[in-house]
Amino acid sequence: MRALRKYGTVLRLSLQNAFVYRSNVIGGFLFYTVFIFVFFNLWRAIYREGQVAGYSLTQMVWYLCMTELIMFGCKSNIYGQMNEEVKSGSIAYQLNKPYHYVVYQFFNAAGGMLFNLIIYGILAIILGMIMVGPIPGFRLANLPFALISALLGMVINFFFLMTLGLTSFRLEENFAFFLIYQKLVFMLGMFIPVEFLPGWLQGITRCLPFPYVTWAPARLIVAFSWEFFREVLPVQFLWALVSVLSALGMYRYGVAGIQAHGG
Amino acid sequence: MSVIEVRNLNKVYRTRIKEAGLRASFRALVRPVYKEVQAVKDISFTVEKGEILAFIGPNGAGKSTTIKMLTGILHPSGGELSVLGLNPMRDRQKLSYHIGTVFGQKSQLWFHLPPIDSFVLLGAIYDIDKGTLKKRIDELTERFELEDLLKTPVRKLSLGQRIRCEVAASLLHDPEILFLDEPTIGLDVVVKQSIRELILAMNRERGTTIFLTSHDAGDIAKVCKRAIVIDHGQIILDQPVKKLKYDYLNRKHIAVRFEVPQHLEVPRGVKLEKSSQMAARLSVDTRICSIDEAMRWLIAQGGVADITVEDPPMEEIIASIFQGKGGEAS
Repeated sequence: MRALRKYGTVLRLSLQNAFVYRSNVIGGFLFYTVFIFVFFNLWRAIYREGQVAGYSLTQMVWYLCMTELIMFGCKSNIYGQMNEEVKSGSIAYQLNKPYHYVVYQFFNAAGGMLFNLIIYGILAIILGMIMVGPIPGFRLANLPFALISALLGMVINFFFLMTLGLTSFRLEENFAFFLIYQKLVFMLGMFIPVEFLPGWLQGITRCLPFPYVTWAPARLIVAFSWEFFREVLPVQFLWALVSVLSALGMYRYGVAGIQAHGG
Repeated sequence: MSVIEVRNLNKVYRTRIKEAGLRASFRALVRPVYKEVQAVKDISFTVEKGEILAFIGPNGAGKSTTIKMLTGILHPSGGELSVLGLNPMRDRQKLSYHIGTVFGQKSQLWFHLPPIDSFVLLGAIYDIDKGTLKKRIDELTERFELEDLLKTPVRKLSLGQRIRCEVAASLLHDPEILFLDEPTIGLDVVVKQSIRELILAMNRERGTTIFLTSHDAGDIAKVCKRAIVIDHGQIILDQPVKKLKYDYLNRKHIAVRFEVPQHLEVPRGVKLEKSSQMAARLSVDTRICSIDEAMRWLIAQGGVADITVEDPPMEEIIASIFQGKGGEAS
């Protein structure tokens, strides 16, 4: 109960804080719109007719709107922030507070992520409707299940990025890992659905965490099926658990050897 | 009853060293060389409940390292440490409910939000029930004169206003010990004074033990009763602030103004620092010439319009300790 109030207040405050960055929202809206528009045209040129790997043009455009939406929702700068806090030593000053640092950081970022998810969600729906119209066969009743998947995707992404940021406890430079992670998430599921990949690569990809950030939830929105839901949700749970444990582990490992100089 | 007990505390840092040049960079990549730096060497002291202690020393002396070990942020490399009967490293979370910290250069307030929001958050973090929190915020608002600041975003506050909010924030959970690391850094004289008064008031009214590190001689002279001087990780002095002044600079400064022009012939033990016909600034070595003697001599000169007797500033005292002049300060 106490923990609920503690982290609930963090979440509420971080949501409040998100409203401060209005100019960021305008820039983000512009970027999102241009990105979707460019790829809408690209897909229109690729699709003469019919379907590619089970996705129609309408589904493909909505897929893109959704994966990009989840990525915007995931935007938390947690990697940069962890790097900065570890390198500047300011992480040390948060250790003597009665909360768990990793949990605190999650709720601290969650406000901004929720805010992004809602406002970019509205933009995504408007853009999708204008460009290709409603998603064929979409049922509102299925949306909550897709949202659970989207939230899990955001959790996976958040904690893996946090883990990468926290590696700066021991690594002087970890940006390369961040770039590799980002590109893998982009290529394996965000930019194109996993079904578009060659068979051998699909097999490997499904065993990795990257497609479960955007591919699983976006597909559940554009082509919901209970079968797919039952297939991906346990995997997402598993990766979420792995990501949380890796962040906690990296945190413990780092804090044990913390060396905060002067002040 | 002692609230802080430190015995033979040590802290050794391992830092990577690299010589200048490309070749050295390559070598450091393949086989890094480490150097050990002893930040804190075998220090021991105790702090009693309700005490106001100054922990002073030059940059890099080990002040902040010690405070970080006391608050559970850093692991000691050796020695024993107990704060409120707890081991800060093992019981960090438990201890955090009973201590408050202000690190002058690190804010615990949300930059874009008004302080009241941060207060509410800290209330939740410290598990203070809503009624108590409201009462406590009201109390601190009145004491720290925060009414006009509570609803202004922190980024729009001046440094002095922000520090006032920081100190108030660190007192929300009514801690038994307040650690202040350079709380008045960068503040102007008036604000410094008001922060000092607030710290003193908290000590008086709530019996809060104060552990303060500072560069500012005024912080120590005006707030603290006891001072520990640390240099190169070792305690070089631990005594009452009064005694510190007495032992380390047996001098008084006297400023005198005359109604008629005077030509002063100073007695032994009195040094003329600065003089004109109508005024003089004297430094008295009280071991040779007592203040009583010095005043009698001055009055005997006739036509004294004004006299001010001052203690030497703390800067001078600390400087003389560091210069190793000690009791022979002259």
